[in-house]
Amino acid sequence: MRADQVAAILRREYLTRVKSKGFWIATLVLPLALAALVVLPSVFLARTKATHRMVVVDGLGGVGARLADELVAAERAAVGELAAGIERDREPEMSRFVVKVEAAELDADAQRAGLDARVLAGEIDSWIRVDRASLDASRVDYRAESVSNFLTQRRLEKALTRVFSEARLAAEGYDAARVVELTRAADLTTLKLTEEGATEEAGMAGFMVAYLLFFLLYTVVAIYGGLVMNGVLEEKSSRIVEVLLATTTAKELLVGKLVGIGAAGLTQLAVWALALGALTAPGVVGLLALGDGVIPQVAPAVLVHFLLHFLLGFFLFSSMYAAIGAATNSVQEAQPLTGVVMPFLIAPMLFMMPVINDPDSTLAVVLSLVPTFTPLLMMLRIAVKSPPLWQILLGYVLTTAFVVALMALCARIYRVGVLMYGKRPTFAELGRWIRRA
Amino acid sequence: MTPTVELVNLRKAYDGHVAVDDLSLAIAPGTVFGLLGPNGAGKTTTIRMVMDILGPDRGEVRLFGRPRRPEDGRRIGYLPEERGLYRKMTVADQLHFLAALNGVERGRGRRLVADWLGKVDLAEWADKKVETLSKGMQQKVQLIATVLHDPELLILDEPFSGLDPINQGLFKELIVELRGRGRTIVFSTHIMEQAEKLCDEIGLVARGRLILTGNLAAIKRERGPRAVAVRFAGAPPPLAGVPGISAFELGDDAARLTLDDGATPAGLLAALVATGAAVAEYRSLEPDLESIFLEAVGDAS
Repeated sequence: MRADQVAAILRREYLTRVKSKGFWIATLVLPLALAALVVLPSVFLARTKATHRMVVVDGLGGVGARLADELVAAERAAVGELAAGIERDREPEMSRFVVKVEAAELDADAQRAGLDARVLAGEIDSWIRVDRASLDASRVDYRAESVSNFLTQRRLEKALTRVFSEARLAAEGYDAARVVELTRAADLTTLKLTEEGATEEAGMAGFMVAYLLFFLLYTVVAIYGGLVMNGVLEEKSSRIVEVLLATTTAKELLVGKLVGIGAAGLTQLAVWALALGALTAPGVVGLLALGDGVIPQVAPAVLVHFLLHFLLGFFLFSSMYAAIGAATNSVQEAQPLTGVVMPFLIAPMLFMMPVINDPDSTLAVVLSLVPTFTPLLMMLRIAVKSPPLWQILLGYVLTTAFVVALMALCARIYRVGVLMYGKRPTFAELGRWIRRA
Repeated sequence: MTPTVELVNLRKAYDGHVAVDDLSLAIAPGTVFGLLGPNGAGKTTTIRMVMDILGPDRGEVRLFGRPRRPEDGRRIGYLPEERGLYRKMTVADQLHFLAALNGVERGRGRRLVADWLGKVDLAEWADKKVETLSKGMQQKVQLIATVLHDPELLILDEPFSGLDPINQGLFKELIVELRGRGRTIVFSTHIMEQAEKLCDEIGLVARGRLILTGNLAAIKRERGPRAVAVRFAGAPPPLAGVPGISAFELGDDAARLTLDDGATPAGLLAALVATGAAVAEYRSLEPDLESIFLEAVGDAS
């Protein structure tokens, strides 16, 4: 193989992809959508002008005012958390409460009729009545024209629960604040043990990292494998392939194409990574608020392994796609054959759960050393729990050897297949091509 | 002199059908060589084996005096029978890419592409996508792609098929120019008139076999002349029975006479004058390539 030939092909493949509008639309849509999803609601919440005007009819003396305080405090806490990037309760659509406390009148029916009329007239949005009966039953009627504002109702419910508890505790002679302090919930901090020592990690984080990497690898391989296939088909159908093969070998063409398109895929990943980094930066809203709102820590070594496994997986699957492109004449013809590749891609998904649960089981070790499974399953094991180094290295060696052999095989199909126009070959014919080339 | 292209006992079969059978030939440097034959004779298969796009079942391709190597591709300008360009690439990008693939250094490639595009009046199309060009313009781009890296050897498969008259003229000029600069040119065609005008040497292929090869002028000398054209001052004399004539076509004052196997044009002229005919014009007719070809195919089968 000649490096300058491969470089020329690689350059063309890369620039053609990266210069196209479609590439940038696909690349930018995801971060923009995420940004919109994350930033816009908090902007809305912070500057919301929507207010919820509520009348609290207080039949208990002081509870109404306490409820109003509670609602305002809860609101302030939510906005504060948003700004700090640790938004726990996502209730962005909630409106701001404007609470007016009115004393309970003797004629409850007349007061109810009057307040209902004000709701219907649009003067206020809702009203509730807190009194001895509602405190005892722990039940309050929420009377409003619109009753579908669940988030507003939930916040109101929380505040009521708190205020009622306080009132009941006080009636029993307890210090409400002290009780809250003593009955706070417990948190579990998980520690991941590695050769380098213990690192603190949020409970779900290991799993989430593995899953995220897994998902990215799958998506990118599926998308870019298809691009490789279409690239080969395009060269065949436009007939330029004969001009190319006059000065270059099938292997140079194949390697240049795979590396060039792979580089375009890495460019896309890099843009996504930068966008994620920007969105999760302190001060900006916490995007990866997984579980407890902890951003998972990924060790640099894991990132390096991810990159290597990504490349191996990419070459593995895209050379299969290239061979399919070379053996067929059109996307319609090629599509059914991609079914041959899919099982290799999907099979490791089925073993994900057993591998996560027991990453050192014989099953997990053996499966992660099968070349077509290594990029996904070995990566999963590395993310969940560090496997022995020799297993990681063996995985690299076996998969690389497999990829090299596969590419040599595909170059043969490519060489014979690119000049075959007409009917799709049978598998027996493919075998003959491979022997003959 | 070491032949630029040498084919030794080439054979290629597809699933029982023999496309090229035991084909050997040698092409000297600086020659314009026409590979001639009807469609399906095996011309394209032969050319693809020379380009190492197909591997021969048997035999050997030798280029520049040694067995073919992958890097020989850069010394060749190849125009395949099935033309093709990247439709979505711009004209300039496409040519820069093909120049790089042929080992032309980038800066030089840019200058060459600009020069060529100017030469064929496509300069203002440099940044347009190929698919927006007319067919004639695409042919010009393909032509530039073939000669851009100034190859020593040109291999053109049916270069004139599908070309509009302007591009045909352009192509012929180019072949003559390249030949003047000592380049070796091999082209295939099934249209004999084109070959007749351009070739120094020819190889006739029929059903996968080379049935006749050599210098075109020598072949013509060897094979002919087999007929003469005569114009008489006044009415033609009776021609039946004149020795040396095997057949004749008669006009008002002219005739086309086919010679007997042993006869020569000079001998026939003497015989005609001896009959007392007033011969105003007498010209021996060289056989055209078409008839040589038909005759050769007839002999071979």
